[in-house]
Amino acid sequence: MTAAIEAVGLTKIYGATRALVDLDLQVEEGRCFGFLGPNGAGKTTTIRLLLALQRPSHGRASVLGHDCQRNNVEIHQRVGYLPGDLALYPRMTGQQHIDWFGRARGQHDPSVAHTLAERFDVILDRPAKELSTGNRQKIGLVLAFMHRPALLVLDEPTSGLDPLMQDEFERLVRETVAEGRTVFLSSHELDEVQRLADRVAIIRSGRLVTTDTVDGLRKSAPLKVEARFPTPVDPILFSLVHGVSVTASDGSRIAMEVTGAIGPVLKVIAEHDPLDVISRHADLDELFLDFYRESTSTERADAG
Amino acid sequence: MIGYSLGMAVYSIVVVALYPAFEHSTSLDKLVQSDATAAALFGITGRISSSGGWLNANIYANFFPLVMLLLTVGYGAASIAGQDEDGTLCLIATLPVRRTRIVVQKAAAMALQAVVLAVTVGICVLIGRSFDLSVTLGNLTSISISLLLMGLAFGMITMAVGAVAGRRGTANGVGTALASASYLVSSLAPVASWIRPARYASLFYWSVGQNQITTGVSLEDYAVLVLVGLCAASAAVIAFGRLDVH
Repeated sequence: MTAAIEAVGLTKIYGATRALVDLDLQVEEGRCFGFLGPNGAGKTTTIRLLLALQRPSHGRASVLGHDCQRNNVEIHQRVGYLPGDLALYPRMTGQQHIDWFGRARGQHDPSVAHTLAERFDVILDRPAKELSTGNRQKIGLVLAFMHRPALLVLDEPTSGLDPLMQDEFERLVRETVAEGRTVFLSSHELDEVQRLADRVAIIRSGRLVTTDTVDGLRKSAPLKVEARFPTPVDPILFSLVHGVSVTASDGSRIAMEVTGAIGPVLKVIAEHDPLDVISRHADLDELFLDFYRESTSTERADAG
Repeated sequence: MIGYSLGMAVYSIVVVALYPAFEHSTSLDKLVQSDATAAALFGITGRISSSGGWLNANIYANFFPLVMLLLTVGYGAASIAGQDEDGTLCLIATLPVRRTRIVVQKAAAMALQAVVLAVTVGICVLIGRSFDLSVTLGNLTSISISLLLMGLAFGMITMAVGAVAGRRGTANGVGTALASASYLVSSLAPVASWIRPARYASLFYWSVGQNQITTGVSLEDYAVLVLVGLCAASAAVIAFGRLDVH
């Protein structure tokens, strides 16, 4: 299957700051790909490089088979983009935005935009400066989707939307992917990404941390084990087991994360006559937050 | 643009309507001649009571270029750098349009606004013919064009600076500073000998500083103004092609 997006060694340096370092990425056509990371991780920088808004310091990328540095017009023809901090022209109404950008794209059929505007209950007749963030965001969604692009690049798309509109947005993404088009979804909303994305990449401090399917990430997530004992037990006994790290202990209750085989730690637990043992896979939220939280030494090294 | 044009229209009509009250004012001429340097700073040279002197002193040597530059330098700073700071440039830069064409379209929009301003002022000054002002249509047209070209040149320089710096304030500051320096050099050249050689570097000199309202605009004047404008436009195209858009 052709890659909708392919990046090799993509790097962006602003002065002394390494915003993106050696990013390798592949997004298959006809999928929803989630792109996650904490603030300042490099998500928006990546998007700007893919859309030829900025030039990479090193590396290369292609979108829908077109080189990002050389064929930006061809890319822009087939991509719909919703920026993270959407800014509209304050004195233009929603309808004027749709008409102007439609004409700029050589579109003559307003029906898709019309349908989307009705679907999202977009206010079309008031200037953008009079609209709330959510209402402006809806106009942005229409502008991104209205020319039925082969690839949607959406940066924080549900920012400011109420739950009903978030549902509607998720329906729209599923329909888009069902039609064989591709959605690249950069978001903080972990639940939304879990529900929509087939594969997810996590970026932190400008570097890719992991790429996997959501199921794969769940399976590789550490087991959270909590054991309760009748008398206090020294947590060091568990820390010594390979693949186990104790996350909390208050004497008779010990919580730990197990990345290795579960057998050895169960044996140690059993030796101390546990009252109760609970074991579950980490939620993806917890997993992502663990990925997000990193010692700042890596960030300082990259910034220096 | 509408505000600028209406304002200049009203101002121009007032200026031309006042002319009959001053066309025989020898005392006003003496006042101007008594302090030629101060008068030069306002763009006033020669007899202020002549038609050309009156129009230059009140419109073409100072006020009209000022308003033209407010329009073009302001637009030049806002059109790329300003829009990038506002966050709207990324929507334009992700349309299927080459960056060169985007600059050309922005330059055309600047030119259109400037033309409306110049035509408005020209029409209002022509009304002055019924107020004893003797100015040929040819000279009026040519000085309007030369000031238009000067305005566009400074506007494109500002746009280019904005595309390099990515900041509206920097672009505005540089454009305004260059235009101000150009005005001072051209205005003071007739009265300050040490500045005279620098007048050739002043776009004001080539558009209005040689009394073109009376003598007409030469081919050489046009060539310099057009050449500078084209060079600035090329610089804007190159700079925008390399700009990291936000």
